[in-house]
Amino acid sequence: MSILVVLLSLAAGAYALAVIERWAVHGHLSLTGPAWAALALMGRESLLAHKSDRLFFELGPVLLLVAGLMAVAVIPLAPGLIITDLATGALFLNAALAYVLVALIMAGWGPNGAYAMIAGWRFLGQFIAYAMLIVMPITAVAMRAESLSTVEIVASQAQLWNVLYQPVGFVLFVVAAMGLAWLPPLDLPDATGELAGGVEAEYTGVRLAVLRLARMVIILALAGATVTFYLGGWLGPWLPPWAWSAIKILAVAASMLSVGRYMPRIREARYLALSWKLGISLALANIFVVGVIALVVPI
Amino acid sequence: MTVQMIFLAFFGGAAVWFGVVVFRTHSMVRSALALLFSQTAIGAMFLVMQAEFLGVLQIMMMATEMSVMAIFMVMFMMDPGGMGKMDMTHQKRLSLWVGVIGLLAALLLVWLPDWGPVAQSVPGAHEQAADLGRELLGRSMLIFQSAGLTILTAMVAATMVAIVPNAEQRK
Amino acid sequence: MTIAGAHAGAMTGLRRLISTAMARDLTAFVLPGASVARSMGLDLAGSPLRIVGTPRHANLLIVVGPLPPGLRDAAAVTYAQMPRPRAILALGAGDIAPLPDADVSAPLTRAGLRSGLADLRRVIAAGAFRADSGEFNAPALEVRVEYTCPMHPEIVRDAPGDCPKCGMTLVPRETASDGHGGHGGHVMPREDRPNPADHAHAGHAQDAGGSGAYICPMHPEVISDAPGKCPKCGMNLAKAEEVESHGHGHGHGHASHAPSAHGDHAGQDDKAGGSGAYTCPMHPEVISDAPGKCPKCGMNLVKAEEVESHGPGHGHGHGDHGGYGKQQDHSGHDGHAGHGGHSKAAIDGIEPHFMSMVEMTKDQPRSSDGLQMDWIKVPFGPFFPGLPAGLRLTLTLDGDTVAASDATSLVGATDLMDGPQMRVADFVERLATMMPLSPVSYRALACAAIEVAAGVEPDHDARRGRAAAVERERIASHLNWLAEFGLQSGFLWLAARAGALQLAVQGADVAGIATQAGAIRRLSRRVQAAPLMRMRLRRIARIGKDAPASGPVDRARGGGSDARTGDPTLKDLGFEMRVRNGGDALARLRLRCDEIAQSLDVIAAAGRIAVPQVPDVDRVSGEGEARIETPRGTASLRVKLANGKVVEADLDTPTDVNIALVETVTAQQELGDALSAVASLDLSPWEVRG
Repeated sequence: MSILVVLLSLAAGAYALAVIERWAVHGHLSLTGPAWAALALMGRESLLAHKSDRLFFELGPVLLLVAGLMAVAVIPLAPGLIITDLATGALFLNAALAYVLVALIMAGWGPNGAYAMIAGWRFLGQFIAYAMLIVMPITAVAMRAESLSTVEIVASQAQLWNVLYQPVGFVLFVVAAMGLAWLPPLDLPDATGELAGGVEAEYTGVRLAVLRLARMVIILALAGATVTFYLGGWLGPWLPPWAWSAIKILAVAASMLSVGRYMPRIREARYLALSWKLGISLALANIFVVGVIALVVPI
Repeated sequence: MTVQMIFLAFFGGAAVWFGVVVFRTHSMVRSALALLFSQTAIGAMFLVMQAEFLGVLQIMMMATEMSVMAIFMVMFMMDPGGMGKMDMTHQKRLSLWVGVIGLLAALLLVWLPDWGPVAQSVPGAHEQAADLGRELLGRSMLIFQSAGLTILTAMVAATMVAIVPNAEQRK
Repeated sequence: MTIAGAHAGAMTGLRRLISTAMARDLTAFVLPGASVARSMGLDLAGSPLRIVGTPRHANLLIVVGPLPPGLRDAAAVTYAQMPRPRAILALGAGDIAPLPDADVSAPLTRAGLRSGLADLRRVIAAGAFRADSGEFNAPALEVRVEYTCPMHPEIVRDAPGDCPKCGMTLVPRETASDGHGGHGGHVMPREDRPNPADHAHAGHAQDAGGSGAYICPMHPEVISDAPGKCPKCGMNLAKAEEVESHGHGHGHGHASHAPSAHGDHAGQDDKAGGSGAYTCPMHPEVISDAPGKCPKCGMNLVKAEEVESHGPGHGHGHGDHGGYGKQQDHSGHDGHAGHGGHSKAAIDGIEPHFMSMVEMTKDQPRSSDGLQMDWIKVPFGPFFPGLPAGLRLTLTLDGDTVAASDATSLVGATDLMDGPQMRVADFVERLATMMPLSPVSYRALACAAIEVAAGVEPDHDARRGRAAAVERERIASHLNWLAEFGLQSGFLWLAARAGALQLAVQGADVAGIATQAGAIRRLSRRVQAAPLMRMRLRRIARIGKDAPASGPVDRARGGGSDARTGDPTLKDLGFEMRVRNGGDALARLRLRCDEIAQSLDVIAAAGRIAVPQVPDVDRVSGEGEARIETPRGTASLRVKLANGKVVEADLDTPTDVNIALVETVTAQQELGDALSAVASLDLSPWEVRG
């Protein structure tokens, strides 16, 4: 039962995100837009590149969707409202999201086109930049909660949210999450101005619909992860827990989608340099500081 | 118990099958990703055996490692798409021998020693994670830290060895 | 009423719903480009369309203005890539062959766009599916089969045969009939394109020749003064010192190896130890007693016992994924050096005819860091989002670094005259329409040149009005550039805002411009201060002081010239040449923002804007030359009048000068940086002559 509720709210959330994304990219706010677009995509011809690696071409969007769904499976929306409460929930989230990389490599390699291939490999470069930065802040969060379970992590923030306890970790995690979901300004695999759509460009019709849905699910999973790890999950006064979860997740996702509109894309070399030189140093310092505080301060 | 065995057999078979695909396919990327899925199947086996942390860790690490391997194969090998008809295997007889010997050694290692009685119950996942943490930071800390440092040193050394001779060659 | 690009299928209830959905969700791909559409006054962003950057995601093709002949093939390829159902909306386009007839035609105005879209919705909702939809064929889509060698892709023949370099049988490969694709990169929906993944090395030059003795890697006794083929085995001769230093080769070349090492072969797998046996370097299981060709790949067979085992030639690690642009980040190492210090002695256990990949690719060009990677030739074709429309940029990518670039214009202005003589008004009109991105400047240029030729002097007010009109166009052009740059760099807010301001400024009078001035200045301040903008553009596309350049590209190097400095009218209006230091893309951005601010001041000082009027010339004859500073640089026009008609004309444009910089600014840059660099040059492919 709770699984069904979570999945339905996921669908609603994905739809809301599609509306927000349409606004962020095109500037029109239209509530029925994604519905019409999805319907239109169903009816369009599916083009297949000649001599493509058919297996990877088909598998890419599907694996992306599966990765997103698995990641969502460990996000708690309210006490008891979670698809599966694994003891290693935070790590499982990360493991599921690692398959985003595999899926994009398949989607890049499969269609046998230069743009898609470059886009796919560029995502690997981006991955090398964000990979550490998405795991290390989680370490600090798990340290405070003394558990990897997402429910425990939310419960540990009852007195003070992690965003105030570990702000550096929060910033690093959010930036790394945007890199994982290839949101602008970190949208190297999907760059319209540089690669004419990159990995998404070779997909049409139903496959494109699956790809877009998968991307929304991943963004939702990442927003959910941010809220769970740093923004106190379902905690909050007056409103019921699920309402808080919904508000927070949508707010985080909306800001992740819109902030890229106001910045140019970051250069790949620069992103790697910043992530490794600045980011990892900060992440290590964050772990150390959080460790010291956790030993000393009783919250 | 039997359900567990069925899943175990299924994932084990999947791991072996993907491993075979690694060598049967001509495409470099398919080869790398088949190895990836083989490792994922092994991770799933860990999960089936209720070693949750190990399973999740295996699945996560192998995804990223094999993807990096895939790009290295594309960079350095000719014909990464496998579209040509070149036979890219080398040293067939030697590798066959090594493989057979390795398999025999593994089987002997599985069957001969006394691994102790089969555990009737497994500690819960939370407890396992906590115990693992204590073990890593307690008794096994030296092993893991030195292993990590050794790997890092090897990476740096390999890069240095690669750069320095060429810097001289390039006048 | 059905559309030409209808999808196959009968119109059932579900399909009717889908058709309605498609009609409401129009995604458009604009030909030749959104920048041209804005210059013509069309506000596509404000309409309910979604503009996309790739035809694969579009269901509507909008053709804005008449389609230049150079772009017709590319347009056909673009249309073919759109998934069906697909429709065409032609706005003031006339004949658009080889595309099918437009489903809806409308005049090139905002009202025309609105009515066109309304008609289109009805047409699509009714006719998206049709039981008998045909295929779209065009000459540009035909496919040709050519034959190439898997190891040497530069060998291309029209008929099957053998590779002259290595003897392998040529394999067939499909390719476009004219050798290139339209919309960059996605060449054919159903046909093959030379696949980067297909073959290892694509499109690289022949082996470089050079002085020095050449020997055969397998027969050290064969020495020649010139590169060529070994008479014994047919392999390419290699430079003597190369063979030495590599320390290995499949089939080694050094005399220094000890004869006893041959004994190690005795126990080797897959090889007959007998003397005189021949085998293929790539297929060691092929044994033959006589020289000939390998039945599997066609290569010349080599003598078995002369091949010596050696260590692996490849398998070195490279720390980071190659090609991140900053070459100093790379460990610049040669492909072989991964095992530096490798001895020349035979190594047991490695099979004898070990074909090292590095050895096989030894003749191919290497990237600047010494790492041999897959080279692919990618066209960034005429309709690429963010690049100037009509520019075909072909980049040879080495990983994701640009190894070579080639920029040509498909819409270049070749004929200034359409006959032996033209009426003055026709000539001016022709020149202005030829340059859709800056028509007013070229109109002013033509009028000025004719006035000089006819000896006519415009009055003071007309000159001021004309100068203000040119400055207004400068603002519009720079805003257009900012919008395109925003699109190219993913800075969507900039793309939207600059585009809207450009449309507002383009036809406005002085009062209108004054109301927009505040917003424009705020935009230019904000774009210069945007986070990550400096990081993106600093030190990108740097050009030296001695490279020929024109316009803001020139003046951003801390110097340069401006055709407006000699003009007394502009001096009255308070013009001063603006200059920036740095010579990189950031300096150009800042300079263009400075120029926008200055043009706003000049227009305010001028007080009125007057579009240049064609001068009234009686039957005069004479020659005249004029220069003007277009938004992209200095353009000069020389005309010869005979009897009041133009008989000769010669034009120099700034893009002719600047387009040569593409090679310099893209060399060895990462792909994204290279595209930013090209965008920062602000080329107008319409201005390219010859």
